Amino acid sequence: MTETTCLVETQGLTKAYTSGRRQFFALSGVTLSVKKGRFLAVTGVSGSGKSTFMNLLGGLDRPTSGSIIVDGKYISKMDKKELTLYRRHQVGMVFQSFNLISSYTALENVGFPLLFSDVSRKERSRRAAQMLDKVGLTSRSNHRPSELSGGEQQRVAVARALINKPKILLADEPTGNLDSKTAGQIMQMLADLNRNQNLTIIMISHEENLVRQFTQDIMRLQDGKVIEQKTIR
Amino acid sequence: MRAADYIEQSFTNLRKMKLRTFLTTFGVIIGIGALVSMIAFGQGMQENITKEFKELGLFNYISVFSGSEGEMNHRRGPQRRHFRQQQEDLAGLDEKMLEEIRRIRGVERVFPEVRFPAMIRFNNKENFTYIQALPAVACQSELIKLKAGTAFDSNDANALIISESMLESMDFNEPQNAVGQQIELATLTIDSNSFNPAMITSIVSGQGNFFEKESYIFTIVGVSRRSDFGGPGLLRSDVIIPIGTSNKMKKLSATSIRDFFESEENQNNYSMASVKVSSVEHIEDVKQRIEQLGLRTFAFADMLEGMKKGFMLMDMFLFSIGMIAITVACLGIINTMVMSILERYREIGIMKAVGAADSDVKKIIFFETATIGFLGGVFGLVFGWLVSMIINVVVNQILARRGVPYVNCFSFPWWLCLGAVLFSILVSLSAGIYPAIRAAKVDPVVALRHD
Repeated sequence: MTETTCLVETQGLTKAYTSGRRQFFALSGVTLSVKKGRFLAVTGVSGSGKSTFMNLLGGLDRPTSGSIIVDGKYISKMDKKELTLYRRHQVGMVFQSFNLISSYTALENVGFPLLFSDVSRKERSRRAAQMLDKVGLTSRSNHRPSELSGGEQQRVAVARALINKPKILLADEPTGNLDSKTAGQIMQMLADLNRNQNLTIIMISHEENLVRQFTQDIMRLQDGKVIEQKTIR
Repeated sequence: MRAADYIEQSFTNLRKMKLRTFLTTFGVIIGIGALVSMIAFGQGMQENITKEFKELGLFNYISVFSGSEGEMNHRRGPQRRHFRQQQEDLAGLDEKMLEEIRRIRGVERVFPEVRFPAMIRFNNKENFTYIQALPAVACQSELIKLKAGTAFDSNDANALIISESMLESMDFNEPQNAVGQQIELATLTIDSNSFNPAMITSIVSGQGNFFEKESYIFTIVGVSRRSDFGGPGLLRSDVIIPIGTSNKMKKLSATSIRDFFESEENQNNYSMASVKVSSVEHIEDVKQRIEQLGLRTFAFADMLEGMKKGFMLMDMFLFSIGMIAITVACLGIINTMVMSILERYREIGIMKAVGAADSDVKKIIFFETATIGFLGGVFGLVFGWLVSMIINVVVNQILARRGVPYVNCFSFPWWLCLGAVLFSILVSLSAGIYPAIRAAKVDPVVALRHD
């Protein structure tokens, strides 16, 4: 696959929620294509449908209509088992609130996804240590999340998201809970991963400065619809 | 996920809620402990009785009866008339008939039931009892367990075997010292020629005494040991004398008032006889042959079958009581696991987001409940065993004061130990079904938003 190949594609992606007799559209006809190795930022105000879009791409939720195609496969048509395998091997996810398991050490958190891929305990530890080294946290590997700073926790979360060598990294406001300096460091790390490992990243953010500084493409959502799509660099 | 990972995960998760896990497991321990000790009690009783039967050699014995008035009393109308006809067809149990039985192939020994009332005097005490007369050969067999002395060596000896409990009731507590001592035995006699049923009224009203006492002096040659289990057996009296000596004694061979009204012809009949067969395999054949002679039979082996059914019912009853404790423990497991799932709601969401299948989530919950079940089963078994041992010690202390030898009231066969642990795991797994389904249904989108 060349750099210009389309890795993620959505066509008329719609997600509706029903409350009583009323129907709300969290996403309405979103059509998008992301080429392999690109760094896309999805922006928009609160309630614009960013997180819904991310959950659909991550295979955590199903669209009401429309389709999602990742690496040539229709995610929207996958059954439960296929979606599980998709989440396990094709995508890595990073969240605003880190979502680390509080009772596990950094090393155990990073190796956690490998548990479901039948990887031995020894191999899990080896690969998790390697990944922690990549995000510069070797010295913190035996610390629990409560003993780590926000930036360190998010780096652990990124390491966990990448442990299964996914094709896409989905980041839902990864800098939302961080101070500006740390947020810059995390963004730099993501940009480095994108550039050095040709990793495709789709990131939600409402911080315009960081988006403009580090990402390559921007898609702006409003009331579940795409109002702007542009390439920065 | 690998099995080792599931086990590690379940221990890690259970360690996170130490107190709750301990309390839940303790519930299972009590439940399994109660169940195990109850079944062990049923097993213990069954083993003791079977052992007693075997030790006494009762499986080789058949009791033989002629007709019985007692049975007829339960029958009414045409059924009663039919039964009376049947009784008339039944043969009497006299010496001639006993000889017939002796000739049956497989029969080793036959001796009649001879019991009569008597007053015994020993150690300056008097006691009323029934005397049983047995052939010397029967006394020398496994039927009588002797605490001191020996069995009599001839059917005509002036010797007597008395039970340990009878001695105790006469304030004589050293069985060894009783051997060789003399004991007085007074029988009642009556002139049957001058006795008629109308005299009973005057006897009851105290206006006449038609009985005479006849005293005999015997030498105590043996003291019989108290039976471990006071179940049915061939020894039905505390005092046993040789059958030949008994025949020469003046006595009323009456075991019931009915005997007074028996016809002269029937006076020579025994109400019961005991038949020993050479091997258990011959029991059925010998029984059939005896029944063909017009007699009724009862084999102790048949009785054991009936008792086994009774024990099964008792086991089921005890099992039901134990199951109440297990059910309560199950509710505890369900409660603990549901609470745990609510607390780990977000964690389950994370698991699913990083690629855990619903089946992985279910299996993690099942392994946790199975771990509780395993620990509850193993420690419940130990708990049940300890409680049983304590009860056993207390019961035996009480029984020892009454001179009863040590009895193991509880039995823990291997299948009970293994079954208890497996049953505990199985029950815990079934308690995990609802929590596991609930955990697998967790929506990762909702769970990841959960605080």
